[in-house]
Amino acid sequence: MESSNDGLASHEVELESFQRQVADRFHHLASVPSDELLSLPWVRKLLDVFLCCQEEFRIILFNNKAQVMKPPMDRLIADFYERTVKALDVCNAIRDGIEQIRQWLKLLEIVLCALGDSNVTNNTYNNNNNNNNCYQRTLGEGQFRRAKKALIDLAIGMLDEKDSSQSLAHRNRSFGRNNNSSSHSKDHHHRSLGHFRSLSWSVSRSWSAARQLQAIGNNLAVPRGNEVVVTNGLAMPVYTMGCVLMFVMWALVAAIPCQDRGLQVHFYVPRQFSWATPILSLHERIMEESKKRDRKNACGLLREIYQMEKCSRLLGELADSVQFPLSEEKEREVRQRVKELGQVCNAMKEGLEPLERQVREVFHRIVHSRTEGLNSLGRHNSE
Amino acid sequence: MEKNHQPEKSSSFNEGDDDEKNSCADNTLQAAESPKCSNEEKSAAVEITEVEMEKPEEMKTGKTEIEEIEKPEEKEKEGGELGEPTPPPEIKYTLETASEDIERFLSNLSTPTEEEVEAGLEIPEFIEKYLDLVEEKITKHESLDTKVKGCQLPEDDASFLKAVDQISKMYKNLSAVFKLDSNQGPLINRIGRIQQGAMSNLEDEFRSLLEEPRFVEPEQKQEVADQCPIPGQDQSAESNEESNLPGHSQEVLANLNKIAKEMISGGHESECCEVYMITRRNVMEETLNKLGFEKISIDEVQKMQLEALEREIPPWIKAFKQCANVYFSAERKLAETIFSDYPSLSGSLFSNLTRGMFIQLLNFAEAVAISKRSTEKLFKFLDMYETLRDSLSAIESVFPEECAKELRAETTTARSRIGETAICIFCDLENSIKSDTGKTPVPGGAVHPLTRYTMNYLKYACDEYKDTLEQVFKEHSKIERADSTSRPRNYEGDSENYNNDEENHSPFSGQLMRIMDLLDSILETKSKLYKDVSLSCIFMMNNGRYMLQKIKGSAEIHQAMGDTWCRKRSSYLRNYHRNYQRETWTKLLGCLSNEGLNVNGKVVKPVLKEKFKSFNAMFDEIHKTQSSWVVYDKQLQSELRVSISAVVIPAYRSFLGRFSGYLDSGRQTEKYIKFQPDDIETYIDELFDGNPASMARRKT
Repeated sequence: MESSNDGLASHEVELESFQRQVADRFHHLASVPSDELLSLPWVRKLLDVFLCCQEEFRIILFNNKAQVMKPPMDRLIADFYERTVKALDVCNAIRDGIEQIRQWLKLLEIVLCALGDSNVTNNTYNNNNNNNNCYQRTLGEGQFRRAKKALIDLAIGMLDEKDSSQSLAHRNRSFGRNNNSSSHSKDHHHRSLGHFRSLSWSVSRSWSAARQLQAIGNNLAVPRGNEVVVTNGLAMPVYTMGCVLMFVMWALVAAIPCQDRGLQVHFYVPRQFSWATPILSLHERIMEESKKRDRKNACGLLREIYQMEKCSRLLGELADSVQFPLSEEKEREVRQRVKELGQVCNAMKEGLEPLERQVREVFHRIVHSRTEGLNSLGRHNSE
Repeated sequence: MEKNHQPEKSSSFNEGDDDEKNSCADNTLQAAESPKCSNEEKSAAVEITEVEMEKPEEMKTGKTEIEEIEKPEEKEKEGGELGEPTPPPEIKYTLETASEDIERFLSNLSTPTEEEVEAGLEIPEFIEKYLDLVEEKITKHESLDTKVKGCQLPEDDASFLKAVDQISKMYKNLSAVFKLDSNQGPLINRIGRIQQGAMSNLEDEFRSLLEEPRFVEPEQKQEVADQCPIPGQDQSAESNEESNLPGHSQEVLANLNKIAKEMISGGHESECCEVYMITRRNVMEETLNKLGFEKISIDEVQKMQLEALEREIPPWIKAFKQCANVYFSAERKLAETIFSDYPSLSGSLFSNLTRGMFIQLLNFAEAVAISKRSTEKLFKFLDMYETLRDSLSAIESVFPEECAKELRAETTTARSRIGETAICIFCDLENSIKSDTGKTPVPGGAVHPLTRYTMNYLKYACDEYKDTLEQVFKEHSKIERADSTSRPRNYEGDSENYNNDEENHSPFSGQLMRIMDLLDSILETKSKLYKDVSLSCIFMMNNGRYMLQKIKGSAEIHQAMGDTWCRKRSSYLRNYHRNYQRETWTKLLGCLSNEGLNVNGKVVKPVLKEKFKSFNAMFDEIHKTQSSWVVYDKQLQSELRVSISAVVIPAYRSFLGRFSGYLDSGRQTEKYIKFQPDDIETYIDELFDGNPASMARRKT
C-alpha cells in the first residue's frame, strides 16, 4: 500500500519536473536580448532545448510503458508520433536551406576575394593553391565589376521564392547595371536564377513549409480533464512535447530559408502552463521581427542572414556609387565595409556546420523515437 | 549563320599568319632579340617554353598542351581560305606577334627585383596596342554563339586562352608594381578591367560547356555536328555514351580543364567552383529523375498505400545502386578530369556535390523504415537492406576520407533502421497468427489457410533471404538489446527455452521456431473447434505434416530449423496418429472383443449378433464420415490407411474366423456379416479422400 503511494508520488514528481524543466529551458531561451534573438547561437540553443526535452519525454514514456499502451494514451501517442514524423520533412528542408546559405557564402567569398585583403578570404573549397589567388592591391574597375557580379547573384539568390520577377528587376536596377554593357551578363543572370531555384534535394516542388507547420499543429489541443485523469497525467507531457515540437519547427522555418515559408500558423497555448509564457513571448517577438519593414521579404530571419544581406546591400550601393580612379576616402570606406562583410561571413561559416549537424541529430532522434514507438506497439500487440 | 564563323575565323587567322611574318621582319627590335622568329611559327612555342623555365610547373605544362593543340589548325587552312574571301588586310601588328612581345616583357619583369622595377621599369608602348587586340579578341569570342563555342576549332580557344593567361599574368605582375594612384594607374585599371572581362567570359564558357550535354538531345546531336564540321566529332560523340562521363567529349573535357586552370590561376577559383557546383547539381538532379527516383517527402511516404509505396522501392534501389556504383565514380572522375591539377579541390567539390544527393537517397530509406508496417513489406525491406549493405564499399571507395566517414555512418544508421524494422515485421508475423481467431473449422480437417500462408511466407523468406535475415537478426537485435530500451524479445533466451538440448541456434532460427511453436498452439486451439476428437487429430496431422513437408522441401529453411527439430516434429505428429487410432479404431475393435460372448463355454448368439451389428454400424459410420475427411498428403494418407488396415483387418479376420460359423449360413450370415476382410480393406482405402457417402453408392 505504502509503496504504491510512493510510486504514485514519484510519478507525479516526474511529470511535474518535466513541466518545470521545459519552462526553465524556454525561460532561458526567452531571456535573450533582442539583438541575439534568431542568431545562429540562439537557434542552436533552441535545438539543444528540443533535444533535451525530447529525451526527457522519451524517458517518461519508457517509465510508463504499460499506461502508454492503453487507450486513450495509445491514440495520443500515435498522434504525437505523427506530428514528429511531419517535422522530419522540416528538418530536411532546413538542411537544404543551410546548403543554400552556404551557396551565398561562396558568392560573398568572391566579393571578399575581389575587394578584400587576401587574408580575409578563407576559401571553403579548401584549396591549398589559393594564396596567390587574391592579390593585395588597390581597387580598380575590374575588381568592382567582379564583386558586383557576385553581389547581384547573391541578391537574386536571396530573394524569397514568392517574390515576383518585379522585385527582381527592382534589385537589378538598384545595382545600376547600366555601366555594364556586355550582353552576356543578362543571359547569365537569367540562368543563375534558375540555378538557385533548384537547390533543394529533399522535398518536391509542391512542398510547403507553411502547410507542413500547419499539419504539425493540427488538432494540437489541451487534453481534457478526464483524459488527464484516465491517462494518469501522461496526456500532459504529450501535449507539452507537441507544443515544443511545434514551436521549435516554427522557429526554424522562421530563421532559415526553406520552400514556401509562412509564419502565419495558428499557435495557441493557454497561459496556465508554466512554459506557455516564454514560448508565447518568443513567438510574439519573432512575429514582430518578421513584420519589420526591412525583414518583410527576407528569406529567413536568421540574424546572420540579415547582416549578410545588409552588408552586401550597402557594399553594392557603395560599389554603384564609386568613380574611378577611386578616391582614398572611398577606398577606405569600401575596405571598411568589406571587413564587416568578412566578419559576418566568418560568423556564419563557423555556426553553420554545427547547426547542420544538430538538425541532422534532431532528425535521427525523431526517427529513433518513432521506431521505438512502433516497436513497442508491435510488442504490445504480440503479448 | 553559325556556319560562317568557322571559316571566317580560320581565314582571318591565315591572313594574320602572313602578316605576322611581315611584321616580324619589320620589327627590328624583335629581330635583334630573337632571330628565331623569322622561322615557322612553331618557334613561338619553343621560345615560350624557354621563357617559362622559371615559372611554376603547372604553367609550363599548360603551355605545352596548348601548343600541341595548336598544330591541327594547319589542316584547316586550305578550307578556310576557300570559305571566306574577305580578310581585314590592314592589320599589321597581330595578337600573335604582340603576345610574343608581351611574353618577353613579362619575363623581363619577373627577373629584376622590385626595387629595380620601381626605379626604372618602363611600360613599353606596345602594351596599349596589345590590350586593344586582346579586347578585340575577347569581344569576338564573346559574340560567338555559346553552342558553337563548345565545338570550335581548338586553335581559336587555345589562342584565346593564351591571351587570357597573358593578361592575367600581366595584371598580376604589373599591379604588384604599380599602384592605381601612380602614373600608370589608368593602365593598370584597364588591364584589371580586361582581365575581369576575360574571366567572366571564361566563366560563361565554362558554364555552357559544362551544361552542354543537357541540350544535346539525340536528334539535335546531328544538327550540332553539322554546325561545326570537325573530323572525328561524330565518333567522339558516340564514344561518350560508352564512357562513364556522359555527354562530354574529350575535346570538351580538355577545354573545361584548360578553362578551369586559367580561371584558378587568374584568381577566379571561387567563380569556377560555384559554376561547377550549381551546374553539376542540376545535372545530377536530372539524372536522379531519369532513373525514376522522385523526390517524395517523408510525410508523403507515410500516407502512401502499401502498393504505391512498394512501387517506389524498386526505382529507389535502382537509383541507389546506380549512384553508388556508377554515377558517383563518374562524377568524381569528371571533377578529377576538369580539375586535374587541383586534387583536393576536385575532392571537396565532388563531396559537396554528391553528399546532399546521397543523404536524400538515404532519407527515403528512413522514411520507409518508419512507415506503417505490414508483413507484405518485409521482402521489399530486405531488398533495401541488401542494397544499403552491398553498396557500402563502393561508397567508401569513391568518397574522400572525411566525407566517406560521415556517409558510412549515415548509411549504417539507415541500414540499422531498415534492419530493425524488418525484424519487427518478421516478429509481427506472430501477431497476424494470433489475430486469426476464426471460429469456423476447416471442413474435413484439411490444412488451415493460416498454416499455408505462414509456411509459404517463411519458405519464401528463407529461400530468398535467409542469409540476410540471419544477418539482420544477428546484428540488429543485438543493437537493440544493447540500448535495452525496447526489444520485442530476447531471442537467444527464447530459443534456449524452446530447445535447450539443441545446438546453439542463431537468433533467426530461434525466431523461426517461436513462430512454428505459436502456429502449433494456435492450431491446437483451432483443433478444439472440431467436436470429433479423431477429426481434431487428423487436422493436427494434416497441418503438422504440411509444415514439415515445407521445411523439408527447402534446404534453406530446413537448415535453419535443424534436423533435431524435424525429428521432434515427427514424433510429435506420431502422437496425434496414435490418438487418432485410439479414438476411432480401438473403439471399433471393442465391438470385436470376446467379452460376454462365452458363457460357460458356449457362444451366446444374441451377443454375437449384437457385436456384428454394432461393428457394421460403426464401421459404416466411420467410413461415411471419414471418407469425407481430407488428407492431402498422399504419403500421410497411405500411412494412415496402412496402419488402420494393420490393426483392423487381422482383428476382424480372426473374429470372423472364430465366430462366423456360429451364425446360420444364408440369411443370417448375409444379415450380420456385411463385410468381408477384403471389403474392409477397400473401404479403408476410401478414407480421407474428401468424397462422402461413397459406400452407399457402391452398395446400390
